[in-house]
Amino acid sequence: MNIPKLPLGRMVEKLEEWLTLYFGPVFDFIHSVIGGMVEGIEALLTFLPALVVILLITALAYWIGKWRLALFALIGLLLIDNLGLWGPSMQSLALVLAASVLAVLIGVPIGILCAQSGKARNIITPVLDFMQTMPAFVYLLPAVSFFSLGVVPGVIASIIFAIPPTIRLTNLGIRQVSSELVEAADAFGSTPNQKLFKLQLPIAMPTIMAGINQTIMLSLSMVVISSMIGAQGVGAYVYRAVSQAKTGAGFEAGLAIVVIAILLDRLTQNALKIKHK
Amino acid sequence: MSGLLLAAVMLAGCSSSGSGSQTVKLAYVAWDSEIASTYVVKEVLESKLNKTVELLQVDAGPMFAGVAGGSADAMVAAWLPSTHASYMEKYGKDLEDLGVNLDGTKIGLTVPAYMKVDSIEDLTDTAVADSMDHKIIGIEPGAGIMSATEKALKDYKLDGYTLVESSSAAMAQELQKAYDANKPIVVTGWTPHWMFANMDLKYLNDPKGVYGGDEQIHTLARKGLNDDQPDVHRFLDQFQWTPEDMAKVMVAIQGGQSPEEAAKAWVEANPDKVKEWTAGIE
Repeated sequence: MNIPKLPLGRMVEKLEEWLTLYFGPVFDFIHSVIGGMVEGIEALLTFLPALVVILLITALAYWIGKWRLALFALIGLLLIDNLGLWGPSMQSLALVLAASVLAVLIGVPIGILCAQSGKARNIITPVLDFMQTMPAFVYLLPAVSFFSLGVVPGVIASIIFAIPPTIRLTNLGIRQVSSELVEAADAFGSTPNQKLFKLQLPIAMPTIMAGINQTIMLSLSMVVISSMIGAQGVGAYVYRAVSQAKTGAGFEAGLAIVVIAILLDRLTQNALKIKHK
Repeated sequence: MSGLLLAAVMLAGCSSSGSGSQTVKLAYVAWDSEIASTYVVKEVLESKLNKTVELLQVDAGPMFAGVAGGSADAMVAAWLPSTHASYMEKYGKDLEDLGVNLDGTKIGLTVPAYMKVDSIEDLTDTAVADSMDHKIIGIEPGAGIMSATEKALKDYKLDGYTLVESSSAAMAQELQKAYDANKPIVVTGWTPHWMFANMDLKYLNDPKGVYGGDEQIHTLARKGLNDDQPDVHRFLDQFQWTPEDMAKVMVAIQGGQSPEEAAKAWVEANPDKVKEWTAGIE
C-alpha cells in the first residue's frame, strides 16, 4: 500500500480556522444565550443562603420521593456545605442543569424526527456514535477558540457528550408504541400532531425519561473535563487535587459530585411516577 | 411559562455582568508554582489596584488558547523556551510576551539522593537499568520535558530504557512511593516543585546539555491589554520575583494555608517588592 497519509489533521485545523473566521457572530450569539442561562441558574441557586436552598431542595425531594430521598438530600447537601464546597457545587449544578435542559430541548425533537423518518435516523445514528465515542479532550481546544474560556464551552462539550441517549431513547420509545394503537388512531382520523401528542409521546414517556435521566448523568460526568476549559465549579477542585496528587481533597470534591448525581438521578426517576398518581 | 422563566433567567444573567472594564481575568494551571504566583498577582491587583480578579484554573493548552483568543487577559505561567514551546508555536503570534517573572527554573532527570548515580551517563550501567526495570517515569505526553528526555535517551545511548508517559500527579505519586520504600527510580523533574520540599532529591548531571538548563517563567498577556487596562499591563510587566519568594508561598500552601491566605501573608510581608511592581501606577 503506497497511499500517502491523508491530510485529515490539516483539514480539520483549516476547518477550525474557517469556522472561527466566518461563524464568529453565530458563536457569540450562542455564547451569550448559554452564558446568560448558566449565570441565571447559578444566581437562582446562590441568591439565597445555602441552608435555605438545602431546605428547599429537601422539601422538593420529600414531595417527589418521600422521606428517604428527603433525608438523603438533607444529609448529602449539608455534607457538601460542611466540606466548604457549596459555592463550586452550585456552579457545577448550574452547568449540568443548563446542559441537560438544552440537551432535552434539542434532543427530544430530533428523537421524534428519527422516529418518523427512517432516512433521518440512518443519517443521525452514526453522528450520535461519533459524538459519544470521540474523546472529549479532542474538541476542548476548538471549543475554546469558538466559545472562549469559561462555562460556555463546558456546556457545549457536555451537550455533545450527553445528548445521544435522549435522542436514541425518544426514537425507541415512539417506535415501540404498538402498531394496533397507531392504526386505531389513524382509523379514527387523528391528525399526525394529535397522534404524536395524545398517543405516542404519553406512551413513550417512561422510555424518554430514562433517556433524559441518562443525559443528566452523562453531563455530570463531564464536570471535571469542563473545568479544564474554564468552567470552574467543583470539577476544578477535583482536577486540582489530581494535579497535586492530593487523594483526600480529590475524594471530598468527588463526593460532592456523587451526592448531586444521586439526587438528580432519583429526582428525575421519581418525577414521572408523581404524574401518574 | 417555561419560556418566560428562561427569558427572565437570561436577563438576570446578562445584567449581572455589567462593569467589564475593571475585571481582570487570569488563566492558570493547577501546578503549585503557578497557584502561588497567580494568587499573589491576584492579591496585588485587588488590594493595590482595586480590580476585581477572576481566576480560571484550566489545562495548559486551553490556557494559551484562552489568552491568545482574548477570553482571558493574561497568565503568569508560561514556561519558556522549551516546556511550552509547542503552544508558543501555535498561539505565540496572538500573545504579548511581558518578559520573565521568575528566573532559575530547572528541568532534568531527577533521582532520590540515596541513589548512587550522579550523571545521566551513569544510567547506562546495566545493574542500574535492571534495578529500575529500564523505565524512566515521565509526565504528560507533549510537555517540553518529555521531548527533551526522548532526545536524552538518544544522545546518551540509553537504548534499553522506555520513557513512561503518565501525568505530573502520577509521576509524583510513583516517586513518593519509591522514595518511601527506598527503591531506585528516575523521573522527569523540574523546579519549582513541591517534591523537592517533601523529599531529598537530586538532579542528574547533564554534561551534553540536553535539558538546556535555562528556563524561565514568562508573563503573557492578550494583545490589546495595554489599551484597555494600562495599569494592569504595567503591573504585570513589572511583576517578577525569585524562586525563594515563590517557595515561601508554596510551602505555606503545602502546610495547609489556603492559596488566598498564603498570598495575602506574603504580600503583607514584602511591601518593598510589591512597591517595585506597582511603581508608576496611579
